[in-house]
Amino acid sequence: MKKRGDFLFIEKNGDVYTLSMTPELQDDIGTVGFVEFIDEDTLEVGGAILNLEASKTVLELASPLAGKIVERNESVTNEPTLLNSAKSEDNWVVKLTNVDESVFNELEEA
Amino acid sequence: MNQEEKLDYLIAYLKEETIHACSQASVDEKISLFRGLCNVREPIPVSTDFLKIQNQFLSAWNHERPTVSINDLKAAQHQLYIWQGDITRLAVDGIVNAANSELLGCTLANHHCIDNIIHTRAGVQLRLDCYEIMQQQGRKEAAGKAKITKGYNLPANYVIHTVGPFIDSRGVSLLKERLLASCYEASLKLADEYQLSTIAFCCISTGEFNFPNQRAAEIAVQTVKAYIHKTQSEIQVIFNVFKDEDLHIYESLLAKKE
Repeated sequence: MKKRGDFLFIEKNGDVYTLSMTPELQDDIGTVGFVEFIDEDTLEVGGAILNLEASKTVLELASPLAGKIVERNESVTNEPTLLNSAKSEDNWVVKLTNVDESVFNELEEA
Repeated sequence: MNQEEKLDYLIAYLKEETIHACSQASVDEKISLFRGLCNVREPIPVSTDFLKIQNQFLSAWNHERPTVSINDLKAAQHQLYIWQGDITRLAVDGIVNAANSELLGCTLANHHCIDNIIHTRAGVQLRLDCYEIMQQQGRKEAAGKAKITKGYNLPANYVIHTVGPFIDSRGVSLLKERLLASCYEASLKLADEYQLSTIAFCCISTGEFNFPNQRAAEIAVQTVKAYIHKTQSEIQVIFNVFKDEDLHIYESLLAKKE
């Protein structure tokens, strides 16, 4: 099941929620040149996932869901333009668990 | 002369020219020269003698024009005010600067932007403070966040620096609107943390950053009202406008009571 919130896609597979870039967000920020993940593993709604510098803006990417980060797409640190990719296997950001499913269900359909 | 010696000669000649031009200049021209040199100055330490003379000069120069305090203004709505003029004349707790993501102030000599005049009239200490904040942060300043420094020689006690969204040919998007609102929220939050009683916002993102004036003002007013409603903050908020167009927009927005 796939939803969207805070300019990100959220795909649910069992208990794991994968956040990835939407085309609208990609258009808004331009080519990404620098990515730095936040070290903290526990996310609040609106909490920072990472900071990025792109051709059109410098942005702190905020999470639409509270949860625990279980995996980060570390390859975007070395290759930031992966976040500009159209493929979700490239442009995913983090995987979360401990997400309140009812909050997820209330998000907009993707 | 080798290449390096040629450069030394050329630089010395050009510097000499500047010094000569300065000695011939009027006071106004000297102010422009001084401002331009401060604008391009790297954030490196400065001598206490320089600071002493600079502070004396700026303090006198900043008070050549009458300053404006909250008591001089009439509220347009409860806690909300509009004032047209140069934001560096405001003797209030905090003024909000529309910064860029380097957060070091405008580096174009004598550029007519708010970031430039705020840094010029505050003094070189402002860039040094911003530089330290940025060194600690270790990366550029994201849009929609806020940082606070002292105001130094400004009549305002503090400067809150925020980076608004930049609007390109694709126009305003939901994200850009959200980021603009976030500039106001983050600045207000910081102002309350520092217990500022009054804050003056410039029209963030509307100048060089191309945000349409009407929409920007709607977001500004809406966000400030929502913040005050939500937090019950007692902060007094001045919408500082420079252009007539913005004055009319804010007057009409605040004429509507909700």
